[in-house]
Amino acid sequence: MVRDRALAEDLAQETFIKVLNGIKSYRPEFKFSSWIFKIANNAAIDHLRRKSIDTLSLDGAPSAETPDQVRATSLQLGDRTESPLAEVENRELGTAIERAIARLRPEYRSCIMLRHVEGYSYEEIAETLELPLGTVKTYIHRARNELRGYLEDRRD
Amino acid sequence: MSDISMHLNTDEIELWAQGLLPAARAMHLADCSLCRVEAERERKVILELVQLPKFAPSAGFADRVMAQVKIPTPSGDWEQRPS
Repeated sequence: MVRDRALAEDLAQETFIKVLNGIKSYRPEFKFSSWIFKIANNAAIDHLRRKSIDTLSLDGAPSAETPDQVRATSLQLGDRTESPLAEVENRELGTAIERAIARLRPEYRSCIMLRHVEGYSYEEIAETLELPLGTVKTYIHRARNELRGYLEDRRD
Repeated sequence: MSDISMHLNTDEIELWAQGLLPAARAMHLADCSLCRVEAERERKVILELVQLPKFAPSAGFADRVMAQVKIPTPSGDWEQRPS
Protein backbone atom coordinates (compact mmCIF):
# COMPACT_ATOMS: atom_id res chain seq x y z
CA MET A 1 0.00 0.00 0.00
CA VAL A 2 2.67 2.55 1.00
CA ARG A 3 5.63 1.14 -0.96
CA ASP A 4 8.07 1.55 1.91
CA ARG A 5 8.90 -1.41 4.08
CA ALA A 6 9.91 0.57 7.18
CA LEU A 7 6.84 2.76 6.95
CA ALA A 8 4.63 -0.29 6.38
CA GLU A 9 6.04 -1.79 9.57
CA ASP A 10 5.38 1.43 11.50
CA LEU A 11 1.79 1.41 10.28
CA ALA A 12 1.46 -2.30 11.12
CA GLN A 13 2.79 -1.56 14.61
CA GLU A 14 0.27 1.28 15.02
CA THR A 15 -2.45 -1.11 13.82
CA PHE A 16 -1.67 -3.88 16.29
CA ILE A 17 -1.42 -1.43 19.18
CA LYS A 18 -4.88 -0.10 18.27
CA VAL A 19 -6.22 -3.64 17.89
CA LEU A 20 -4.93 -4.83 21.25
CA ASN A 21 -5.82 -1.66 23.13
CA GLY A 22 -9.27 -1.61 21.55
CA ILE A 23 -10.01 -5.32 21.72
CA LYS A 24 -13.20 -4.63 23.73
CA SER A 25 -14.71 -2.86 20.73
CA TYR A 26 -14.31 -5.94 18.51
CA ARG A 27 -17.66 -7.37 17.46
CA PRO A 28 -17.48 -11.17 17.03
CA GLU A 29 -20.07 -11.20 14.24
CA PHE A 30 -17.26 -9.94 11.97
CA LYS A 31 -14.15 -11.89 11.04
CA PHE A 32 -11.27 -10.94 13.33
CA SER A 33 -8.87 -10.67 10.38
CA SER A 34 -11.29 -8.32 8.60
CA TRP A 35 -11.42 -6.09 11.67
CA ILE A 36 -7.62 -5.95 11.84
CA PHE A 37 -7.38 -5.26 8.14
CA LYS A 38 -9.92 -2.44 8.41
CA ILE A 39 -7.79 -0.74 11.07
CA ALA A 40 -4.63 -1.30 9.00
CA ASN A 41 -6.29 0.01 5.86
CA ASN A 42 -7.47 3.14 7.67
CA ALA A 43 -3.96 3.74 8.97
CA ALA A 44 -2.50 3.39 5.45
CA ILE A 45 -5.12 5.61 3.84
CA ASP A 46 -4.72 8.27 6.55
CA HIS A 47 -0.99 8.22 5.89
CA LEU A 48 -1.43 8.49 2.11
CA ARG A 49 -3.83 11.41 2.50
CA ARG A 50 -1.45 13.20 4.87
CA LYS A 51 1.40 12.58 2.44
CA SER A 52 -0.53 13.96 -0.52
CA ILE A 53 -1.24 17.16 1.45
CA ASP A 54 2.41 17.48 2.46
CA THR A 55 3.74 16.81 -1.04
CA LEU A 56 5.24 19.82 -2.82
CA SER A 57 3.44 20.52 -6.06
CA LEU A 58 5.56 20.57 -9.24
CA ASP A 59 3.64 23.70 -10.16
CA GLY A 60 4.37 25.63 -6.96
CA ALA A 61 2.85 25.81 -3.51
CA PRO A 62 -0.94 26.12 -3.32
CA SER A 63 -0.46 29.29 -1.25
CA ALA A 64 1.59 31.00 -3.98
CA GLU A 65 -0.36 33.98 -5.30
CA THR A 66 2.04 35.86 -7.57
CA PRO A 67 4.07 34.51 -10.54
CA ASP A 68 7.27 35.10 -8.52
CA GLN A 69 5.92 33.05 -5.60
CA VAL A 70 4.87 30.27 -8.00
CA ARG A 71 8.38 30.22 -9.54
CA ALA A 72 10.03 30.29 -6.11
CA THR A 73 8.04 27.32 -4.83
CA SER A 74 8.08 25.20 -8.00
CA LEU A 75 10.15 22.05 -8.13
CA GLN A 76 12.98 22.69 -10.59
CA LEU A 77 14.03 19.58 -12.47
CA GLY A 78 16.37 21.14 -15.03
CA ASP A 79 16.55 20.63 -18.79
CA ARG A 80 15.95 17.10 -19.99
CA THR A 81 14.65 15.10 -22.84
CA GLU A 82 12.06 13.28 -20.72
CA SER A 83 9.09 14.93 -19.06
CA PRO A 84 9.24 16.00 -15.38
CA LEU A 85 6.69 13.30 -14.56
CA ALA A 86 8.75 10.60 -16.27
CA GLU A 87 11.86 11.80 -14.44
CA VAL A 88 10.12 11.60 -11.07
CA GLU A 89 8.76 8.16 -11.94
CA ASN A 90 12.15 6.88 -12.99
CA ARG A 91 13.66 7.96 -9.69
CA GLU A 92 11.14 5.84 -7.80
CA LEU A 93 12.22 2.44 -6.67
CA GLY A 94 10.32 -0.76 -7.21
CA THR A 95 9.07 -2.88 -10.03
CA ALA A 96 6.76 -1.59 -12.76
CA ILE A 97 3.75 -3.20 -11.08
CA GLU A 98 4.62 -1.56 -7.73
CA ARG A 99 4.91 1.84 -9.42
CA ALA A 100 1.63 1.24 -11.22
CA ILE A 101 -0.11 0.33 -7.94
CA ALA A 102 1.26 3.52 -6.38
CA ARG A 103 -0.56 5.55 -9.02
CA LEU A 104 -3.96 4.07 -8.14
CA ARG A 105 -6.43 5.89 -5.92
CA PRO A 106 -6.07 4.56 -2.34
CA GLU A 107 -9.56 3.03 -2.48
CA TYR A 108 -8.69 1.10 -5.64
CA ARG A 109 -5.36 0.12 -4.16
CA SER A 110 -6.95 -1.40 -1.03
CA CYS A 111 -9.44 -3.39 -3.08
CA ILE A 112 -6.96 -4.72 -5.61
CA MET A 113 -4.44 -5.71 -2.93
CA LEU A 114 -7.07 -7.53 -0.90
CA ARG A 115 -8.38 -9.32 -3.97
CA HIS A 116 -5.23 -10.40 -5.76
CA VAL A 117 -2.48 -10.23 -3.16
CA GLU A 118 -4.36 -11.40 -0.06
CA GLY A 119 -6.88 -13.56 -1.94
CA TYR A 120 -10.03 -12.15 -0.32
CA SER A 121 -13.41 -12.75 -1.97
CA TYR A 122 -15.43 -9.78 -3.20
CA GLU A 123 -17.82 -10.29 -0.29
CA GLU A 124 -15.00 -10.28 2.27
CA ILE A 125 -13.60 -7.08 0.78
CA ALA A 126 -17.02 -5.44 0.92
CA GLU A 127 -17.35 -6.40 4.59
CA THR A 128 -13.81 -5.35 5.47
CA LEU A 129 -13.90 -1.98 3.77
CA GLU A 130 -17.61 -1.39 4.50
CA LEU A 131 -18.38 -0.83 0.84
CA PRO A 132 -21.30 -2.11 -1.23
CA LEU A 133 -20.44 -5.26 -3.20
CA GLY A 134 -21.07 -3.50 -6.51
CA THR A 135 -18.65 -0.72 -5.58
CA VAL A 136 -15.96 -3.27 -4.73
CA LYS A 137 -16.39 -4.96 -8.11
CA THR A 138 -16.28 -1.62 -9.91
CA TYR A 139 -13.14 -0.52 -8.03
CA ILE A 140 -11.36 -3.80 -8.78
CA HIS A 141 -12.25 -3.77 -12.47
CA ARG A 142 -11.20 -0.12 -12.80
CA ALA A 143 -8.00 -0.75 -10.87
CA ARG A 144 -7.08 -3.68 -13.12
CA ASN A 145 -7.82 -1.60 -16.21
CA GLU A 146 -5.64 1.23 -14.92
CA LEU A 147 -2.84 -1.17 -14.03
CA ARG A 148 -3.00 -2.72 -17.48
CA GLY A 149 -2.87 0.73 -19.02
CA TYR A 150 0.16 1.80 -16.95
CA LEU A 151 2.03 -1.42 -17.60
CA GLU A 152 1.31 -1.48 -21.32
CA ASP A 153 2.26 2.20 -21.71
CA ARG A 154 5.65 1.42 -20.22
CA ARG A 155 6.18 -1.53 -22.55
CA ASP A 156 5.33 0.51 -25.70
CA MET B 1 -26.94 -17.29 -28.21
CA SER B 2 -25.33 -20.51 -27.00
CA ASP B 3 -22.97 -20.71 -24.04
CA ILE B 4 -19.91 -21.08 -26.22
CA SER B 5 -20.60 -18.12 -28.53
CA MET B 6 -21.27 -15.55 -25.78
CA HIS B 7 -18.34 -13.23 -25.01
CA LEU B 8 -16.83 -13.60 -21.55
CA ASN B 9 -17.77 -10.91 -19.04
CA THR B 10 -15.22 -9.34 -16.68
CA ASP B 11 -16.00 -11.76 -13.85
CA GLU B 12 -15.53 -14.74 -16.16
CA ILE B 13 -12.26 -13.35 -17.48
CA GLU B 14 -11.02 -13.05 -13.90
CA LEU B 15 -12.08 -16.63 -13.20
CA TRP B 16 -10.28 -17.80 -16.36
CA ALA B 17 -7.12 -15.93 -15.37
CA GLN B 18 -7.20 -17.78 -12.05
CA GLY B 19 -7.87 -21.12 -13.75
CA LEU B 20 -11.38 -21.32 -12.27
CA LEU B 21 -13.63 -20.80 -15.29
CA PRO B 22 -15.78 -23.85 -16.14
CA ALA B 23 -14.57 -25.61 -19.28
CA ALA B 24 -17.84 -24.99 -21.11
CA ARG B 25 -17.23 -21.24 -20.98
CA ALA B 26 -13.47 -21.43 -21.38
CA MET B 27 -13.99 -23.11 -24.75
CA HIS B 28 -15.22 -19.78 -26.08
CA LEU B 29 -11.65 -18.50 -25.97
CA ALA B 30 -10.59 -20.99 -28.63
CA ASP B 31 -12.88 -19.33 -31.15
CA CYS B 32 -12.88 -15.68 -30.04
CA SER B 33 -9.66 -13.69 -30.54
CA LEU B 34 -11.27 -10.63 -28.93
CA CYS B 35 -11.87 -12.41 -25.62
CA ARG B 36 -8.55 -14.24 -25.88
CA VAL B 37 -6.57 -10.98 -26.14
CA GLU B 38 -8.58 -9.42 -23.31
CA ALA B 39 -8.16 -12.50 -21.11
CA GLU B 40 -4.40 -12.68 -21.72
CA ARG B 41 -3.96 -9.01 -20.80
CA GLU B 42 -5.95 -9.57 -17.61
CA ARG B 43 -3.98 -12.70 -16.74
CA LYS B 44 -0.67 -10.81 -17.01
CA VAL B 45 -1.78 -8.15 -14.52
CA ILE B 46 -3.21 -10.69 -12.07
CA LEU B 47 -0.02 -12.76 -12.30
CA GLU B 48 2.12 -9.70 -11.52
CA LEU B 49 -0.07 -8.89 -8.51
CA VAL B 50 0.04 -12.44 -7.17
CA GLN B 51 3.84 -12.47 -7.45
CA LEU B 52 4.37 -9.30 -5.40
CA PRO B 53 6.78 -10.02 -2.54
CA LYS B 54 5.40 -10.47 0.95
CA PHE B 55 7.37 -9.37 3.96
CA ALA B 56 7.51 -10.62 7.53
CA PRO B 57 7.97 -8.05 10.30
CA SER B 58 11.48 -7.42 11.53
CA ALA B 59 12.81 -8.94 14.75
CA GLY B 60 11.41 -7.27 17.84
CA PHE B 61 8.16 -6.22 16.18
CA ALA B 62 5.98 -8.04 18.72
CA ASP B 63 7.97 -6.59 21.64
CA ARG B 64 7.60 -3.05 20.27
CA VAL B 65 3.87 -3.56 19.95
CA MET B 66 3.42 -5.13 23.36
CA ALA B 67 5.42 -2.35 25.00
CA GLN B 68 2.59 0.00 24.08
CA VAL B 69 -0.34 -2.26 24.89
CA LYS B 70 -2.28 -1.43 28.02
CA ILE B 71 -2.89 -4.48 30.19
CA PRO B 72 -5.80 -4.55 32.65
CA THR B 73 -4.81 -4.85 36.31
CA PRO B 74 -6.86 -6.71 38.96
CA SER B 75 -8.08 -3.34 40.27
CA GLY B 76 -9.68 -2.59 36.91
CA ASP B 77 -7.09 0.01 35.88
CA TRP B 78 -4.83 -0.30 32.86
CA GLU B 79 -1.11 -0.45 32.87
CA GLN B 80 1.49 -0.50 30.12
CA ARG B 81 3.86 -3.43 30.02
CA PRO B 82 7.37 -2.34 30.97
CA SER B 83 9.60 -2.46 27.89
